[in-house]
Amino acid sequence: MTWIPAQEVTVPVALAGLTVADGAFAGLRAATGRNGRIRRRAYIVTAAGRGAAVALAGLAATAVVSLGDLGRRHQALTEAGARTLAVVAPYAALAVLSLGAYLLLPMREGALMVVVGLGPLILVRPIVVAGAVVAACLGTRDPVIWAAAGTAAAGVLTVEPLVRRRWYREPL
Amino acid sequence: MPVLEISDLIGAWDPDTGAHLPVGKDEVVARLRAAGDHHAVRIVERMPASGGFLEPEAVDRLFVRVHTELQWLGEELRMAERFAELLRPLVTAARRAGRGPLRIVDVGCGIDPVTRALAASGTLGRDVELIGAELNPVLVAEATRLAEEERLTCRFVRRNALTLAEPATFYISSGLLHHLPAASLAGFFGAQDRSDTAGFVHYDIAASRLAPLGAWVLHRARMREPLGRHDGVASARRAHGDAVLLDAASSAEGMRVFLFTPPRHANPCCAAMRPVIGVRPGLIEALRRGLGRRARGLVGPSDTGQEPGGAGEGTGG
Repeated sequence: MTWIPAQEVTVPVALAGLTVADGAFAGLRAATGRNGRIRRRAYIVTAAGRGAAVALAGLAATAVVSLGDLGRRHQALTEAGARTLAVVAPYAALAVLSLGAYLLLPMREGALMVVVGLGPLILVRPIVVAGAVVAACLGTRDPVIWAAAGTAAAGVLTVEPLVRRRWYREPL
Repeated sequence: MPVLEISDLIGAWDPDTGAHLPVGKDEVVARLRAAGDHHAVRIVERMPASGGFLEPEAVDRLFVRVHTELQWLGEELRMAERFAELLRPLVTAARRAGRGPLRIVDVGCGIDPVTRALAASGTLGRDVELIGAELNPVLVAEATRLAEEERLTCRFVRRNALTLAEPATFYISSGLLHHLPAASLAGFFGAQDRSDTAGFVHYDIAASRLAPLGAWVLHRARMREPLGRHDGVASARRAHGDAVLLDAASSAEGMRVFLFTPPRHANPCCAAMRPVIGVRPGLIEALRRGLGRRARGLVGPSDTGQEPGGAGEGTGG
């Protein structure tokens, strides 16, 4: 018999996974253009780790806001999370596709993905996050869910500026 | 109205000593205002100044920040790979032809990520000397520091590349041509027609209707400095057209000139950067062989759609 995890498990796990992955990329963007070396694998890994760590802190803040009286809100929180996923999952899929194309396609076609894929996706990211907040809050007047959605969005959007301000103000 | 880049206006150096020359903030603002670029005016007005002159140290730091951001953008566009794609067959042909010593000089190199990447990869061979030439002493110092930190076998000089005592086997540049007025392009290319020089590869933004939009997206997404974002779009707006570049490059009379994968002959989005290439006739066949099927992307001045560099293109020595 195959065990299929319930939505109560998959939704928060997927959201947490996407948040940490997004944080890692935000850390990378924060470090972008601050190290002029050619070989910098360790620098990139460190920046991604810092972004992921800050994103985890944002997740923790969201958990603190949302997990009070969890028993009563469990169902509503799961539904809000599923609505959030419906907005951010297609965006994440597009980002993964663009990144894959950038890495795998021949030189010129791969570089094209920066212009038509990754670049525009970075620019619309705040709009997608705002859309996810609206989706999470649709159909509920529970202030805790509103606060959780707002906290999560703030956490996601502040990773890049926080990492940049803390570690990457000036070129190394 | 002229399209101006802020970075062309805020720095000036004594050509002999490399010392900063004073740059009047009001003068820069007035030029940008006269060009109708109010966005640029606001950027410059926020820059620190003392006694009416832009603060040299702040300008230096700004140049390093912008060029470091620009390096990452160039890496995402795989500029070093693009140069290597063309330089590998050219260097091989020059080596076989007994030209030497083999030397590649990057003109107006900035902090020169291309030369340093070529040095780091070693793709051109250890017998090729790699030199970056740049007039801005701060960028030369930064390029030198970065190369030393990574122990790369390349060097950087604060000089006009075309007046170096050591002649280049190949001159290269990345994003330089649009900084030169159209009227001075012929002189620029003609000066590279030196007896010891086998060719040149100058990459620049392909002028197209999409170029400013593409530049806006790229610089908005990947650069933080307002100056870098502004100048990136201005660069695309002032980029020279294919015909202008080919016509000017023909001033190097001892060389055959081509564009490689220009927008009209390739996916226009993929041709965001395209080079103008000058090659001694004896090296053209080797370049075509080295490029293989991609040689179809070589487009000469009289090209009418058939494969350039092929029969009738004068590939003999």
